Order: sequence, then structure tokens, then C-alpha cells
Amino acid sequence: MVKTGWHEDLAAVAIGMAVVILALAVTWQARPLADAGSRAAHPKGWSTPLAQTVGSPKAWAAAPLDAFRDKQGGIDLPPILLGMGWVVLIGAAGTLLAGRRVGAVLPGLVVLALMACFASVLAAQKTVKFYNLEYPLWALAVGLFIGNAAGVPRWLTPALMGEFFIKTGLVIFGAEVLVSRLLALGLPGLMTAWIVTPIVLVATYLFGVHGLKISSRSLCMTLSADMSVCGVSAAIATGAACKATKEELSLTIGLSLFFTVIMMVVMPPVIQAMGLDPLVGGAWLGGTIDATGAVVAAGESLGREAGEVAATVKMIQNSMIGLIAFAVAVYWSGWVDREAGGPRGSLLGEAWRRFPRFILGFLAASLVCSWLHSLGAAQALWVEGATSGFTAKLRGWLFCAGFVCMGLQTNFRQLAPVLASGRPVLLYVLGQSLNLVLTLAMASLTFGWLFRRVVEP
Amino acid sequence: MTGIQSSTTARLRLAGGALVIAGIWGVILPRMLEWGPVAQHVKLMEERRVDPSAMYYTELERLPLRPEWVDRVLVLWP
Repeated sequence: MVKTGWHEDLAAVAIGMAVVILALAVTWQARPLADAGSRAAHPKGWSTPLAQTVGSPKAWAAAPLDAFRDKQGGIDLPPILLGMGWVVLIGAAGTLLAGRRVGAVLPGLVVLALMACFASVLAAQKTVKFYNLEYPLWALAVGLFIGNAAGVPRWLTPALMGEFFIKTGLVIFGAEVLVSRLLALGLPGLMTAWIVTPIVLVATYLFGVHGLKISSRSLCMTLSADMSVCGVSAAIATGAACKATKEELSLTIGLSLFFTVIMMVVMPPVIQAMGLDPLVGGAWLGGTIDATGAVVAAGESLGREAGEVAATVKMIQNSMIGLIAFAVAVYWSGWVDREAGGPRGSLLGEAWRRFPRFILGFLAASLVCSWLHSLGAAQALWVEGATSGFTAKLRGWLFCAGFVCMGLQTNFRQLAPVLASGRPVLLYVLGQSLNLVLTLAMASLTFGWLFRRVVEP
Repeated sequence: MTGIQSSTTARLRLAGGALVIAGIWGVILPRMLEWGPVAQHVKLMEERRVDPSAMYYTELERLPLRPEWVDRVLVLWP
């Protein structure tokens, strides 16, 4: 993307942090005068005026136009248009910081925002939405289809800043990664998420590289993180940290969503057939199904108790993304890239030279918001309102635009040999099998026995 | 993917693709919603205000909070 001007990572950090600061400042400015610290009064945090500036297509059943209707049934376009406007604005700001002419990029950015909106409408159809086929899949599909059917016109090419959109989205996403959430279920939750997840991540990665001899280490890492941590969001974060290619990220997301749908449907009846306790069953679901929404859906179909535990265990895993992305970035810049060749200096110097700087923005946003969140009940609702009401929706638009760009630029022929070997699928299946066994053992140990309170008759 | 296909081929491909999308999203997927297991799943999720397409917990309609009953069943910090 960059010709002169700021490096892409620096631009992503500057813009991402500016968005987070804006969200916090505006939400604070509009803070409630009464019951500011009451969760009962503000279950999803303080409401933020910025929520009106970023809407997304609503769930629809048979008429796509319903995606643009409000609860009263009237057409409500402005929030969606403003959401698309953010994509154009942030794309233009990135272009400006990179030292390029904004005028040449603007028409392409508008078309890109329209394509992102189209992908979001496809993802909002209820059959698709309620079976966890998330928007990144459709954004990639829209890009792939248009790119392959018609090609990419020259005027659109400068607007295809997929990596920049993903990196900026990740920095903004950092505000949602609250470290304080790690303690939500105490020691049993920590043990289930923190002992099993790293073991599965490392074992799957090593098996992919050394056992299955998959030539791309970044594909192994992205696939392992997606499967062991929390699905697409983990794939995006670690994929960016280990510099996975567009094709590798696309393949990982496709595989993950395919298996997530299967697990979401199959696991609840299996748990019922096994006669597992709802606590253990919920923890098993939370620790194994990739996607957060699918975990809650599977848990709820088992019952309210299992649903609540499943969602909380998943949230603990969600909170690991920052640390894992950072660790992967350090490992990649310090060891993998270093081994790949080039002049060798000191380990620290080399690691720093290759380190993806936007990860620092992602971590900074996470640490600052975690700290604010820990200050008290009111501050927690402040951060939750700013993130749930605004930044989560905005980074959704940026990820969607990023995936459309990736689709438009993806050449699946490069992956054909790897795909034909079936090894990525095998890696996913074997890694997930290990995950299923270890998580069930740990959930039974912690939620079923070790920390089970002895209930007096 | 780079380069532009010849305009006639491109238009034909785009039109064909648009037809396929219209057929799937306009006819097949809405019909699937009426099919027993799918209809049941969607109804349950809507009743419980669950969004299975949430990528991260902040996208859920209800934020996961530790349920009170867990404290009665588990020793969180022995």
C-alpha cells in the first residue's frame, strides 16, 4: 500500500487508536447522570451516541429489503450508509497517511463499501446467520466471484487495501479484548481455557509442520489458532501476526466455519446422549467449538445452565487472543522469519525489525481498556458501552471490507497443491479431536469433580 | 485475481452469478427456513435472543456474565 509517508502498520495503529479514543470520549461525554454503575440499568454498558453512526444489515428471512428495515418496519438506511461511510473515511485516512492522493482512491473505496454491504446482506439471511456462516465467508465469496468473473478494474485496484483494513480493525478490536474477563469463572474456567488451549495450539502447529510436513508454517499456525482459540477472530489476529497469505487465511476461515456448523449441530445431542452434567457439557462446548456465537447457540440448545457456562468459558478463551497474537508475532519475527534467511543480527534486533508493529496497537488498546474496565462498576459499563455500541460494529465493517479485498485479490490456484493433498483438512480434524478429548477431560476434572462444591442435603 | 475479462464474457459471468445468488438467497434459503429442524433451531435462537453468527462475545445481545447459580455449585477460588 505504502509508497511514501507512513508505514501501513503505523497508519493502522494511529487510526485505530484514534477511533478507540473517540469512542471512549464520546461515550463518557454522554454518560448517564443516574445509576451510572448499575448493570441492571445498563445491561450492555452505557449507550453511546456513536451507535447511531454505524449500523449493519438486519436479519431477514425472505425479502432482502428487510435487511434495511427498523423494528417498526420502516426503511432505515442512514446507519448503514454511515457504516459504509466509516469504511470510506478510514480508507481515505489511510491513503492520506501513506502519502497517496485520496481523489484517485475514493471511487474504489465507495464501491468496496457497497460490496461489503452486499456481503453483509447475504450473511444476514436467517438460515445463513443462525447456522453461524459469518460475514467473512460471504465477503470473501463476493470478492472471489467478482474478481474471477469480471476481473478487477484498474481504478479499483488502489482501493484494495485489505491488509490495512484488517490491521486497523484489529487495533480497534483490541478494545474488546478485556483481560479482566479471564477470571470470570475462577480457577475451573482458567484451567479449562488456559491449560488445554496452549497445549492444543502448540501440538497442532508442530504436528502440521513436522508430522504432516505442510510446507507453509503460517498456514499451520493460523489453522491451529483458529481451531484452538476462538475461530475467525483468532485466525484474523494470528494470521496477521504470522503474516499468513490471503489464500491461507481464506482457507482457514472456510474450514473453520464448515466444521463449526457441524459441531454446533452435532455436539448438543452427543452431550445429552452421554448424560453429561450441564456444567461439564457447557464447558466442553465453550472450549471446543470455534466461533463464539455457535458456542452460545449450541449451549442454549442444551439448556440455560449449559448455555451460560459455555458462553463464559468461550469469553475466557476470547480474552486470550491478545496474548496469543503477541506470542505468535514474537515467535515469528524472532525465529521463523529469522530462519527463513536474510542477514542475521542480534536476536532482539532482528525480532524488533520484523515485528508487526500493529500488534502493539492491538495490545495497547486491549491493556488500556482492560485497565479502565477494572477501575469500577461505572468504568466497566463505560468501556462495554463504547465497545459493544460502536467499536465492535465499526471493526466488523472494516473486517468485511478487508475480506472483500482479499477475495478480489485471492488466487486459489496457489493453494491447489496443498488443498489437493488434503493435509490442512487432516490437520484441522486431528487437532480438533485432540481438543475435544483434552477439553472433556479438563472440564470433567475441574467443573465435574475438583472444584465441585459438596452440596449438603 | 488481476486483469479484466473481455466485457461480454465478464457481463455473462456476472449475470450468471447474480442469477445463482438470487436463486439461492431468494428461493432456496427462505424455503429452508420453513423446514422442521431449521425452523425449530431459528425459533429457539430468536426466543433466547442468541446470535449464532457472533464472531466475538461483544457481538452477543446478552453479554456473558458469571451466572449466580455457579457460585452455589462451584468453588471458584479454593
